[in-house]
Amino acid sequence: MVRIFGLDDFILLLVGLQWTVLIAAVAFVGGAVGGLAIALCRVSPKRLLRLPAKYLIEIFQGTPLLMQLFLVYFGIGILGINVNPWVAISVAYTCHASAFLGEIWRGCIQAVPTGQSEAAFALSLSYRHRMRYIVLPQALRISLPATIGFLVQLIKGTSLASIVGFTELMRSGQYITNATYQPMIVYGVVGLMYFALCWPLSFWSTRMEHRMAAASR
Amino acid sequence: MSTTSLAQTEVDAGEPLVSMRRVSKYFGSFRALHGIDLDVHAGERIVVCGPSGSGKSTLIRCINMIEPINEGEVVVEGVTMGANKSASEIVRRDIGMVFQQFNLFPHMTVLANCMLAPMKVRGVARAEAEATAMTYLERVRIADQANKFPAQLSGGQQQRVAIARALCMSPKLMLFDEPTSALDPEMVKEVLDTMIWLASEGMTMICVTHEMGFAEAVAHRVIFMADGEIVEHAPPQEFFGNPQHARTKAFLAQIL
Ligand SMILES: Nc1ncnc2c1ncn2[C@@H]1O[C@H](COP(=O)(O)OP(=O)(O)OP(=O)(O)O)[C@@H](O)[C@H]1O
Ligand SMILES: [Mg+2]
Repeated sequence: MVRIFGLDDFILLLVGLQWTVLIAAVAFVGGAVGGLAIALCRVSPKRLLRLPAKYLIEIFQGTPLLMQLFLVYFGIGILGINVNPWVAISVAYTCHASAFLGEIWRGCIQAVPTGQSEAAFALSLSYRHRMRYIVLPQALRISLPATIGFLVQLIKGTSLASIVGFTELMRSGQYITNATYQPMIVYGVVGLMYFALCWPLSFWSTRMEHRMAAASR
Repeated sequence: MSTTSLAQTEVDAGEPLVSMRRVSKYFGSFRALHGIDLDVHAGERIVVCGPSGSGKSTLIRCINMIEPINEGEVVVEGVTMGANKSASEIVRRDIGMVFQQFNLFPHMTVLANCMLAPMKVRGVARAEAEATAMTYLERVRIADQANKFPAQLSGGQQQRVAIARALCMSPKLMLFDEPTSALDPEMVKEVLDTMIWLASEGMTMICVTHEMGFAEAVAHRVIFMADGEIVEHAPPQEFFGNPQHARTKAFLAQIL
């Protein structure tokens, strides 16, 4: 039986939206931790840390997100570990976000003027203290626009989770379309929900970028 | 702040505080320093000058290990720098440095700039670090700006904060790399006055500067560098009155 798109469907979409936000949030938080580690490895004076981080980033940047999702999703299954799809997807997106944030933050760490580390070194601050108190706080500021920009990409990228069968916003839309045969309405609402999530972030990021450009003039 | 008192400040005659022995430094295949020999005793004030690219910055940056050296050795307080990591780290705490571009930490207040290293490196308690910082900020006459951020200060004020920040670590040696070169002319004097005050306190100083008035008033010895070598090395009267080398004469003719 074909039904008309109604309040119940809207609520179903909201539930899907909730999962979308949750995946993005977990991936972003996990990616922040992993990304920081990768960025620190990338700028490390030790080659043994620098190189693996470099290759890791290259692999993740050089392959489609969907392929990464498949690999982790089915890879975990092949390893014989029986995990629920939610965990598998979180792991996959976290790896993806770690690699990308790692690369963004590497650039930002290196954008902090060398005079800053030199001054800190001249004050005898240890490598850890130089990073923690001098370089990273300044790099964080520089990185905010690009970091938020990546978060927007990440939110939109969660729609790929629908392909491995995870019911987030996009997948919910598919279900409801199948039941209502009203793809324009359903995907219209789905699109508006993504937009409502992403646009304020994009706006914030652009404004911050302009403010920083103005401040550095 | 009169400079007459400077003549009375003592130079320690014993072991040199800094001893550079046949120091060479390469950037790739380019030789920035070539066989530098230099002894600096406690209480001594050295001015280093020379044309751009002659290796002045590299020379002082080798002393506190910002630049690792390729040949020879740098001995500070009897410790060969770089030979034993922890020993050289401890000696490095006694070496303060002031940069041409100030290099204050822009995300911290003036006061926080001055408190960070004493707390993290020397393990000084917060209250004590703050008291010390305020003392030195008063000495460089900028205590009223303690809670501002560096960007809110003029260049001259920033450089005086940078001097105070270095002094908060109670250094035995201060390195200056063209501290007034990035300043507007009207701010040069306030920074030079601060350095003259520091000299009158008996601080050991190695200053890369082209402020020849400062050199005459304050330096025990003036060093002229060219192509990574020390070409001329003399007390200021001799250096300015009777320079020996053609290159020194040409340089002085250009700059005075
Ligand atoms: N990190 C570096 N890599 C490569 N070459 C360098 C580096 N730092 C300095 N040099 C070179 O070494 C030489 C000496 O540089 P240095 O900065 O010590 O000169 P300087 O006498 O301080 O000059 P200036 O008056 O312009 O500050 C220069 O030719 C410079 O190009
Ligand atoms: Mg220089």
